[in-house]
Amino acid sequence: MRPEWKTRYWTTLIAAGAVVSCGAVAYAAGFTLPAAPKIAFLYFDQKNDGGWTQAFDEARPKIETAVGMKIPFVEKVPEVAGQIKPAAEQFIQRGYNVIIGTAFGYSDAFKELSEKYPQVAFLNASGTTNGPNLESFYGRTYESQYLCGMIAGGMSKTGKLGFVAAHPIGPVNWTINAYELGAQKINPKATVTVIFTGAWNDPVKERAAAEAMADQGIDVIGQHVDTPTPQIVAQERGIYGTGHHRDLREFAPKATLCSSVWTWDKFLSPELKKVAAGNWQPNPYGAFPGIKEGGTDIACCGTAVPKDLADKVMAERDAIIAGKQIFTGPMKDTTGKEVLAEGKPIDDGGLWKMDWYIPGVIAQK
Amino acid sequence: MQDFLINWLANVPGTAAPYAFAALGLIISERSGVLNLTAEGLMLVGAVAGVGTCLTIGNHPLVALVVAMLAASIVSLLFASLVVILRVNQVIAGLSVVFFCQGLTGLIGTLANWQNHPIAGLNKIAIWPLSDIPVIGRILFVQDPIVYLAIPIFFAVSIFLRGSMLGLKLRAVGENPAAADAAGLSVSLYRIGAIVVGSSLLGLAGGYISVVSVKLWITGMVGGRGWIAVALVVFARWAPWPALAGALLFGCIEGVVPRIAAAGIRAPQYLVLMTPYLATLAVMIWVGARNRGHQGEPGALGQPHVREERR
Repeated sequence: MRPEWKTRYWTTLIAAGAVVSCGAVAYAAGFTLPAAPKIAFLYFDQKNDGGWTQAFDEARPKIETAVGMKIPFVEKVPEVAGQIKPAAEQFIQRGYNVIIGTAFGYSDAFKELSEKYPQVAFLNASGTTNGPNLESFYGRTYESQYLCGMIAGGMSKTGKLGFVAAHPIGPVNWTINAYELGAQKINPKATVTVIFTGAWNDPVKERAAAEAMADQGIDVIGQHVDTPTPQIVAQERGIYGTGHHRDLREFAPKATLCSSVWTWDKFLSPELKKVAAGNWQPNPYGAFPGIKEGGTDIACCGTAVPKDLADKVMAERDAIIAGKQIFTGPMKDTTGKEVLAEGKPIDDGGLWKMDWYIPGVIAQK
Repeated sequence: MQDFLINWLANVPGTAAPYAFAALGLIISERSGVLNLTAEGLMLVGAVAGVGTCLTIGNHPLVALVVAMLAASIVSLLFASLVVILRVNQVIAGLSVVFFCQGLTGLIGTLANWQNHPIAGLNKIAIWPLSDIPVIGRILFVQDPIVYLAIPIFFAVSIFLRGSMLGLKLRAVGENPAAADAAGLSVSLYRIGAIVVGSSLLGLAGGYISVVSVKLWITGMVGGRGWIAVALVVFARWAPWPALAGALLFGCIEGVVPRIAAAGIRAPQYLVLMTPYLATLAVMIWVGARNRGHQGEPGALGQPHVREERR
């Protein structure tokens, strides 16, 4: 071996070792952007979809003010890796180094991107993947839906509540159970009848569901779907409703009593400041903010809600901020099986895989 | 139980109407020999045009439905020129028109800011005193005007196809375009006419969903109902009245799905949600099993006509 080859060999080895150890140090110490932050959004749907995406777009100007820069976005990036990566890479090639995604289906593509671009920070709403420069986040919507359930339980004359939902998955099931728990807090006999439409965005099915509920004597309709259709039907039929994603009083001012809303600016503004400050430590299990940390909240209340009920709800909201747990044992499911032991609150893993309903919920599986 | 049945059946005509109009529109087009898969796309065009009209000129639902029909007819000219003049493969042309319309309607809805703006739409009217008849009064005589309009439309199309000279010529073009051509009929003109007129009914079906039934525009809101209409045409063997029966069958199924849940009956929800498609499959199997050969199917369906071309 020629001497210069030897030298090069050793230099390479030392350099590689240095890179590896630096990487390890960087992970332990948190993530620091190599340059000033430039933030961009990938929207799952149109910015004015009336629900999930619009909540991000309404938070965006507030985040812009908080971090002091314009945040561009691209709309309708579907949950397909082949379309997510080019959209993200276009931003990255133009110097953007903080990419915020907004869909569950981005999880795997974002994981791959975060490994391919270790100098870029990734955040993804309702995602499931995390890493040294990737953090998924979602709101504890059961807290806000619990408060909506209280209002629904207080306003219902028949004690029969309805809930139009998309799919029976953990984050939907916890809103249903929390809604019933809130309703029971005011009216112990209240029931929640659930209809799954099998789609986030099918106003025809949502209308059919809401009308079927009204025909069955249900007089407050909650929802976890993306369109305001159930609220519009409630208004037409002279009954009440509670919204999701955004304040839906805009669509049904008489019917909508309150809404579980996203307050992403309250979570993202401080989080992005942490990213910008350097030494950002993404939560290895994803960020999961409740009403206290921002992310979710209740928009309350419609004119029909009496003051004493609104006061009760606001007192519960304060209790939740102070640390009150919604899902805490003893808790049984509809079949009578114990799902939470006495005095034991649910853990985050249990929330995400929630596949049971508490007594009082009338749901198909 | 009686309330359950009445509430359910009273909703069936409204649920069935879009399927009925769409299937009828496809029948007119396919009877001329053009395999038409554009239903899903042109229904979206009708849906966005209907709501857009109401948001622009105020709540005039009947005007909105006419605009919906016109809009779908205009967009269908694209399909007509592809398959009749350029003689593109009809399956591929139909599919690409659907994808084109999905993008186009989403874009228009966003640019014009029509998404998620509720309209007053068209409400049900009670035909007094018939509406006071117990049970059937609510089911048959408290409906929106378009549902009543469906009956004369079906009569007209049925008589047109079976009894009129023009209808006979249209069917001749669909059965044997070479012979029709030899007899002096303009195959292209008949086919373009059939596509445009049929597509106006697809627009009506879409406009019905957005203006009469949901009273809101949301991107992609037709939600696959156009494809069910395509299957209905095969089920009905290209005849109007069986198509109406099929539409009512699907209306019954789609109407009962949420009602089972609302009544608190616990059935596996994925099984319930799949019933419309299960019914589609069952119908196709039934048609396939009893309909050996091609009874009812227009002879030249899906074949572009080139004068003096050997087959």
